Amino acid sequence: MERTTALDASVLDSLRQLTSPGEPDVLTEVLKLFLAEVPRRMDVLRNAHGGGNIEEVYRSAHSLKGSAGNVGAHALAEVCRLIEERGKSGDAAALPALVDALDVEYRKVETEIHRLIGV
Amino acid sequence: MIPLQVLVADDEPVSRTVVGAMLRKAGYPVLYAQDGEQAWQQLDCEDPPALALLDWEMPGLQGPEVVQRIRARQAQTPTYVILLTSRDSSADIVQGLRAGADDYVTKPANEDELIARVNVGARVVQLQTALADRVRSLEEALANVKALQTLLPMCAYCKSIRNDQNYWEKVETYFTQHSNVSFTHSYCPNCYERFVRPELEALESTRAAQDKQRRG
Repeated sequence: MERTTALDASVLDSLRQLTSPGEPDVLTEVLKLFLAEVPRRMDVLRNAHGGGNIEEVYRSAHSLKGSAGNVGAHALAEVCRLIEERGKSGDAAALPALVDALDVEYRKVETEIHRLIGV
Repeated sequence: MIPLQVLVADDEPVSRTVVGAMLRKAGYPVLYAQDGEQAWQQLDCEDPPALALLDWEMPGLQGPEVVQRIRARQAQTPTYVILLTSRDSSADIVQGLRAGADDYVTKPANEDELIARVNVGARVVQLQTALADRVRSLEEALANVKALQTLLPMCAYCKSIRNDQNYWEKVETYFTQHSNVSFTHSYCPNCYERFVRPELEALESTRAAQDKQRRG
């Protein structure tokens, strides 16, 4: 059993088992997609936050939450959920700390993914 | 039975890929759309996918809007739509179902639940298709029954019937084509007296005459 903190091992296992015979490993494919997609979204979120575009902050956080949930990055998904909630209610005061937390959680996930797929 | 095709529409690539892999593992051929507009393009055609999994929040056209458009088309076997949503308050679910969705699954999707719900959808679609086929064959049968209820022009002498194409057909031919009736030929007591008996008697007397001649 793999011990990870940033990614849920049971979620990773389910993803691995989605691979159809003779096809590329679904887990690897999904993790690579995650690395390609998520930093881009985080940039969008940071820029929106810097520019005071709360609507866009909320939308990006929602999308990031989906990506994080799919790879079992529960802590990252939870930060996204909090940003989404604050963004929705227009509570901008709490956002700077949460956006910082988002970076921290993402780094953990990224490191874990690199370890798993060996990039 | 050919496995039914499923459209997966989600602007978020990770989720789209995971859901697609779940469906493919379960044996469903999968089509992908990256947003609501693309999903609508793939659904608004002659032979749309039988099932669609639509993400609720997509840029441009959102899931419920795509559903509304699908329902406005009024196809004979409408696409079975499952909304994928991270919204789970009952007000949101009601809104999605009111828009015309058949079901919803919350994200991130649990594989067993997602496939179970898609299988339910596939059953509904197959049932609908079977019913539509049945209705079609019943309508055809009804059209033939109606043809038999109309006034049939019949020749007073030879009893031929004039068909829709203005040709004269034998009664047997006409009814064989317009109903499930088939004919077996026999004779009634009246015709036995009028036709059969005289023929038999004629044969009998011919044979008697021949015997007499041979003996003579």
